Amino acid sequence: MEKKDVVIVGGGPAGLAAAVELYKKGIRNILILEREHHLGGILRQCIHDGFGLSRFQTTLSGPEYAGRFMKEVMDCQIPFQTDTTVLDISSNKLVTAVSRDGLVQYEAKAVILAMGCRERTRGALGIPGERPAGVFTAGVAQAYMNLYNRMPAKEVVILGSGDIGMIMARRLTLEGAHVQAVFEVQPIPSGLPRNIEQCLNDYGIPLYLNHTITKIHGSSRLTGVTVSQVDSSLKPIPGTEKEYACDTLILSVGLIPENELSIDAGVTLDPRTKGAVVDEHFQTNVEGIFAAGNVLHVHDLVDFVSMEAEKLADSAASYVSNGTLPDCPIEITTDSRIGHTIPQKVSGAQDFQLSLRVRSLIKNCRIVVRQNGQEIASKRMKKALPAEMIQLTVKADSILSLDKLEVNVE
Amino acid sequence: MKNLYDVLVIGGGMIGSAIARELSRYDLKIGVLEKNLDVCYETSGRNSAVVHGGFAYDTGTLKAKLCVEGNQMMEELSRELDFPFLRCGKVLVGNTDEDMETLKRTLVQGEKNGATGLELIDEKRLHELVPAVVGKFAMFSSQSGILEPFQYTIALAENACQNGVKYFFDSEVTKICQDTEGHYLLTTPHGDFACRWVVNAAGLGCKKVSDMLGITGYQVIGSKGDYIILDKRTGPLLPMPVYPVPSNTYMGIHVTNTIDGNVIIGPNADKVSDFEYYGVPQENMDYLAESASRLWPHIHKADYIRNYSGILPKWVDDQGVIQDFKIEIREDIAPHAVNLVGIESPGLTAAVPIARHAINLIKEREKLSENPNFNPCRKGIVRFESLSLEEKARLIKENPDYGEVICRCEKVTKAEILQAIHNCLGVSTMAGIKYRTRSMMGRCQGGYCQMRLEQMIEEELGKKETEILYARQGSQVLFGKVRKEA
Amino acid sequence: MIREFTCIICPNGCEIQAEIHDNVLVSMTGHTCPKGEAYVKQELTDPRRNIATSVLVKGGELPLASVRLTSPIPKDQIFAAMEIIKSISLTAPVQAGTILLKNILGYDSDVIVTKTVNAAYDVAPATL
Repeated sequence: MEKKDVVIVGGGPAGLAAAVELYKKGIRNILILEREHHLGGILRQCIHDGFGLSRFQTTLSGPEYAGRFMKEVMDCQIPFQTDTTVLDISSNKLVTAVSRDGLVQYEAKAVILAMGCRERTRGALGIPGERPAGVFTAGVAQAYMNLYNRMPAKEVVILGSGDIGMIMARRLTLEGAHVQAVFEVQPIPSGLPRNIEQCLNDYGIPLYLNHTITKIHGSSRLTGVTVSQVDSSLKPIPGTEKEYACDTLILSVGLIPENELSIDAGVTLDPRTKGAVVDEHFQTNVEGIFAAGNVLHVHDLVDFVSMEAEKLADSAASYVSNGTLPDCPIEITTDSRIGHTIPQKVSGAQDFQLSLRVRSLIKNCRIVVRQNGQEIASKRMKKALPAEMIQLTVKADSILSLDKLEVNVE
Repeated sequence: MKNLYDVLVIGGGMIGSAIARELSRYDLKIGVLEKNLDVCYETSGRNSAVVHGGFAYDTGTLKAKLCVEGNQMMEELSRELDFPFLRCGKVLVGNTDEDMETLKRTLVQGEKNGATGLELIDEKRLHELVPAVVGKFAMFSSQSGILEPFQYTIALAENACQNGVKYFFDSEVTKICQDTEGHYLLTTPHGDFACRWVVNAAGLGCKKVSDMLGITGYQVIGSKGDYIILDKRTGPLLPMPVYPVPSNTYMGIHVTNTIDGNVIIGPNADKVSDFEYYGVPQENMDYLAESASRLWPHIHKADYIRNYSGILPKWVDDQGVIQDFKIEIREDIAPHAVNLVGIESPGLTAAVPIARHAINLIKEREKLSENPNFNPCRKGIVRFESLSLEEKARLIKENPDYGEVICRCEKVTKAEILQAIHNCLGVSTMAGIKYRTRSMMGRCQGGYCQMRLEQMIEEELGKKETEILYARQGSQVLFGKVRKEA
Repeated sequence: MIREFTCIICPNGCEIQAEIHDNVLVSMTGHTCPKGEAYVKQELTDPRRNIATSVLVKGGELPLASVRLTSPIPKDQIFAAMEIIKSISLTAPVQAGTILLKNILGYDSDVIVTKTVNAAYDVAPATL
């Protein structure tokens, strides 16, 4: 049994940023556990550029972005172990992990959950029809192409307008596959506008909103899909079916925070985010267990993941040094137009940043934070999109009591 | 004749493999001709995986007799063949007076059939057994259980193989004729086979093969059932299968716990004539969820991880009434052919008794001598996830490949996957590895591990990426490399 | 004529309405920073894009090294640039930051490696 101040589960962008920041705060007895052979997480396969504008004021590819943090980890000689899978985290912060070297248990003062997220699958969506080969999530297709040098597709249809799906539409096109169309069940795209422009429009790939796949065909390799228009309640409209012959269906239909280890540790999840309920210190309901990045809530930009993890690390450092963190009794509630907020609880004693997403496209609105009806913070939005995470700062001196904070769209 | 087999079994599913395994107790040259690329692609791997008590079948039928026998020998089989079996019991839940009458009749019939451990229980007892169920009373069958159908079929096949049986995949029998010496000549896409005895264990293909043998006139319909698989987090809410009160012909949509802790919902029973279409329609998924929610109100779409369907071959008479299992030798038409028709539910429970029944028909006509080397035991792949921490640590020390977790959801290690890739049947599909290890069966459905599996199959078996198949012939996973060497 | 643009320079993706006469920008609204104006002007005269792809690595612990261009090239030259990049093949080890090709197709843009690939069977992992 080894004792650690902090064990970080996951060596992707959240875990790396947390590790470096902890180190800078003087916390040195830390360990990053990463299940893959390399640090970097999903960024290793995100070879496109566009990362880093907020964090580094320059545009980088995924591997380069991860590389910047990895260099710091190396330079600071922060301990990490790759090829190591965490099997269990207990509520008293006992972390059990396996690698080729054996099974090891770490007793940690603090545990940082940085496991990221997984992709929603065909089975989770319950798409009807047969189950042939050739149905891939966008991330699987991306891994095959960018990490394994394997071409999974020739004639492609994409379901879902998530960013990875659109990025893969371009990637597949560049490598000689033919992407027929992207179908999105919602009336608005789920990915960022610039990806529609540079990944779809640039290559003449049509995006059909209010459409979904209602049947998958093929008993061995995919032979085609049936596409239907949907009504305002997202139900397929009979009679609108259209057949598309294709050998590959790429799914980009959402990401789910990967919280199986968190649940075992007794961490309470927010059904809206599928991530932990956290306070402004990014601490979960289990004292000393923290969460940040996509395991907490799905981000649109990796820059925000890193910055969130850095803030978490500041709190975790303080927790490790002092053995406690200020209470966070103030609850944050939202109106029905807001999907969720992070954090869900605050202390009122310090400024904090509120991250949130709206549920649908809202134009010319204000995001307003109120306490007892009084406005204490706001942000004006020309256009609030569900695809974009919205952030605003709430000042401690504006919080006057321990009554709940209400976040509304006005 | 040099490639003359004593027995060729057509069909390598659960029944064909049980027959092959039971036949390998005797000193015979045995082959199995399977049309698919593995042993459990059809009905054997596409069912509810429930070990039945034997109460649901008319007294005096083979279904009743062989089901009760099969149920009773499950522990022994599970020990010998090292596949997971759990005698967890099962409840048939009712609400109305009519339900109560049906359950009483079912119980009497069950006892007549020789089923044991049946009792009618009240609501209180029902909720002690299954807290999350909705119902006023139930029939409890303590001897019912569940098993892992892929593992069971694979275990039977591997044990047969270890005892000398040869398996031939991608070998659909397209023609059967007899030579002058009375030997059967079987034509497959990979050559012809000759044998003294032939066994029709073709499952969904039973009528086709029966016709090829000259035994015509059977009507076989397909009963297609769809299923939804739920995330493991639902497993703790269901300690045993929960069924509605059955009708005469159909067990009803039930919720079933699986050996690995998932919950499956299904099946409906659609009459089909296409025995190769396994698509699951939207309306059936909706119907399953709605219907099963009345019994067990814990079905949420967020917990769906996959859906599948299976088809049962049902032998029916002219009126469409479902008949018993048919296991026969027709002296008049095909005196050296054992013909099995309409082997549907409870075929999983009854597989070994069915096999013994079929072999007895041969033994009545020919003296079989024992195979002195027969070993009834076969070891499966040790499931790393199921072990204690100490055992895990010990295994990794012995073989570091146990320390590399390849499938994160089901925590399957490299050591397990390597054993699966080098399976003794020579199966090399992605689905084959999946059925043997549970990799890709978890909630991410291979999102994390499938590339690794694909790469390991390539490397271990020296295959090109374009040769890797998902499951069936033609189910190519990849079309080549992104960058090729010039 | 009013033309709509989605600025691709940053994740904000500003939707810009630009009034254009004879392919010359007269006025524009919707952008939230000066980059938006520069983007629209560029789009009108010479739309440019960056590309990211991979090159083959021999003897590496990974089969591919990811690459990108150091600056955007004309949009209609993307597939021509792809053909050139496809023909490059490297031998491990390969360092991120290595320039593989300068001034691709004569534009002021280089092909740069974005992922380090160690030689196969190197002891130290954990680098990209």
